[in-house]
Amino acid sequence: MSSRLRSLENRSIYILREAYAEFDRPAVLWSTGKDSTTVLHLCRKAFFGEVPFPVIHIDTGRKFREMYEFRDRLAREWNLNMIIARNEDALNSGIGPEKGKLACCTALKTQALLKCISEHDFDALILAIRRDEHGVRAKERVYSPRDRNFRWDYRDQPLEVWDYFQRATGEGTHTRVHPILHWRELDVWEFIKNEQIPVNPLYFARNGKRYRSLGCEPCTSPIESNAATIDEIIEELKRTKTAERAGRAQDKEKAFMMMKLRALGYM
Amino acid sequence: MEEEEAKIVFVGHVDHGKSTLIGRLLYDSDSIHDERITEVQGLVEEFKRRFEFAYFLDALEDEMREERTIDTTALMFKGKRLYTLTDVPGHREFIRNMLTGASHADFAVLVVSADEGVREQTKRHLFLLNLLGVPVIAVVINKMDAVSYSRDVFENVCSAVKDVMRSIGINDDVIFIPASAINGENIYKRSENMDWYNGMTLIEALDSVELRRKSEKKLRFVVQDVYEIASCRVVVGRVASGVMNVGDEVVFEPSHTHARIASIKTAERDVSTAEKGDSVGIVLEASDSADSADSADSADSAVSAVRRGDVCGHAHDKPVTVRRFTGEAVLLEHLKTGERLNLKVCTALVDAEVSEISTRIDSESGEVLERFPSEVKAGDAAVIVFETEPVVVERFSEIPPLGRFALLREGKNIGAGIVI
Ligand SMILES: Nc1nc2c(ncn2[C@@H]2O[C@H](COP(=O)(O)OP(=O)(O)OP(=O)(O)O)[C@@H](O)[C@H]2O)c(=O)[nH]1
Ligand SMILES: [Mg+2]
Repeated sequence: MSSRLRSLENRSIYILREAYAEFDRPAVLWSTGKDSTTVLHLCRKAFFGEVPFPVIHIDTGRKFREMYEFRDRLAREWNLNMIIARNEDALNSGIGPEKGKLACCTALKTQALLKCISEHDFDALILAIRRDEHGVRAKERVYSPRDRNFRWDYRDQPLEVWDYFQRATGEGTHTRVHPILHWRELDVWEFIKNEQIPVNPLYFARNGKRYRSLGCEPCTSPIESNAATIDEIIEELKRTKTAERAGRAQDKEKAFMMMKLRALGYM
Repeated sequence: MEEEEAKIVFVGHVDHGKSTLIGRLLYDSDSIHDERITEVQGLVEEFKRRFEFAYFLDALEDEMREERTIDTTALMFKGKRLYTLTDVPGHREFIRNMLTGASHADFAVLVVSADEGVREQTKRHLFLLNLLGVPVIAVVINKMDAVSYSRDVFENVCSAVKDVMRSIGINDDVIFIPASAINGENIYKRSENMDWYNGMTLIEALDSVELRRKSEKKLRFVVQDVYEIASCRVVVGRVASGVMNVGDEVVFEPSHTHARIASIKTAERDVSTAEKGDSVGIVLEASDSADSADSADSADSAVSAVRRGDVCGHAHDKPVTVRRFTGEAVLLEHLKTGERLNLKVCTALVDAEVSEISTRIDSESGEVLERFPSEVKAGDAAVIVFETEPVVVERFSEIPPLGRFALLREGKNIGAGIVI
């Protein structure tokens, strides 16, 4: 492993072990995408082969078929303690992105998660966000406190000096933990290659297109690409000038969409 | 090629052009995604603003509306090597965010506007960098376009900055660069309006910095937790300094446990050695110097005493537990003599009392304001003597990771300091 990947991994493992030591009821969020699968792999490394807390998958009912298949296969192979979070009421009412993406993401993702957290009383959620994904994510802390209404108070983030992370305090609050905040997209792929981490087949090009970031089927579009192997993806990323989340419709609906989504508790 | 990353923080007074400068550096080096450029152009039109390079960093709606940075941003940038460029707010109100950003940096670049010169946060930021132990590698005298690219103005501002650096005790023998962030002059490309300057552009200055990672000799391994893996107790943590080898005789403090390192574990395999920065697990066995007769028993009891917050070092150079130490800290809230709070040193979280405030220091000028005051105000720095539960600390000047602490009140980080 390159010294860069090793130092990224060391820091991620340090963060995961801090969270495991400091919180009573942590859980990790797994979208089945490359970043959160990398975080699961890092958990297995940090805790010597197993993920010692529940793995939450937020099911919007609109994910790609390949994502469900991949999820169920890995959940078996890695012996994951899965919790599937669904907002059944919203799903039954027929909500969809057609009536507004902010409303759809909020109902099917944020609300489903909110319900899941309060049912299980989780005090920490481990999330695979990275600073280089988006300008707003570049402002995140390693520990990010959320109030009981799930809100991110981006105007008043804590002092996070050196590795002295500050958790949320108070009834009903929880802390978002970000173990790969300091990684780039390229680092993730180089790590996946090096560690032979299983990835969803949707990332690899078929008929001149591939997915670079995975979300719900209606709101995610593939990019033009012929990268059909991990090596080709790595080469592509070294050259590209396109943003990773370019294919994610919910970021672009309105001005400061990502900030609004995050302030409401979106991942 | 192995890539070593340099973490650089840009500091300076409000509006002196830190965000513009980083935005310009990223833009001119073709490091900004097309979508981000389109997104910012869209915002500029929607909010009827003049385009600003700072918008590439100031991604919060409030930041755009208020035309200032609120929170710190860290962006990755690939020049000759890989950089993390950290922007911090220059407004006094957001000093907390400045400390957050600056504490993670290897080096700092100070930005001073040529038309305003040294201002309050110019001084405070320099003082805080010095406290955090982050060296300044370059000073950018920005907005040269606004002073007709005048060499005299440049030199006057430089000498004012040097005066401040000297008064705080910072090395002022660094590169001073006349620049215009807004026009991209002497940032990524050379300026054509200042033929009197033949020195480095900012990117040249950054690329020329040598990354000398200080590596201390003494082993210090910080314990995060103890896991039971396949009925074996594994002590997990991070090597904060030095090197650890299988077979080493070690001591854990404050639990005062002697042991020998039987194996060093990563997830996949056992390794024979671990060095600074490594997150590993270690399995212990009874040490020769342990008093117990039964070695199997003592191995178990050895490990059972080790706990989160312990620090491990070699038996011949062991960590020292203290109940009292002196630190220099900057505070975001007021603090009184006799007050009880928590201190965090690496993974140790201890109760402590403010035994004495030796001096109260102006975080702008670095001057001592009062000796033995009964309290310090939010925004002040101070030299404080703490009485604490047993804890391992080291002088910041000797082993930096063990010489850094946070002050906590009701679980909230209210200050940061170093052990002196
Ligand atoms: N004339 C001139 N104006 C500049 C230059 N650089 C920045 N500015 C302007 O100065 C103003 C402040 O720039 P910012 O980059 O936001 O300043 P900052 O240091 O990041 O400010 P805070 O984040 O609030 O501390 C903006 O209107 C910029 O356009 C320059 O080189 N020349
Ligand atoms: Mg700014």
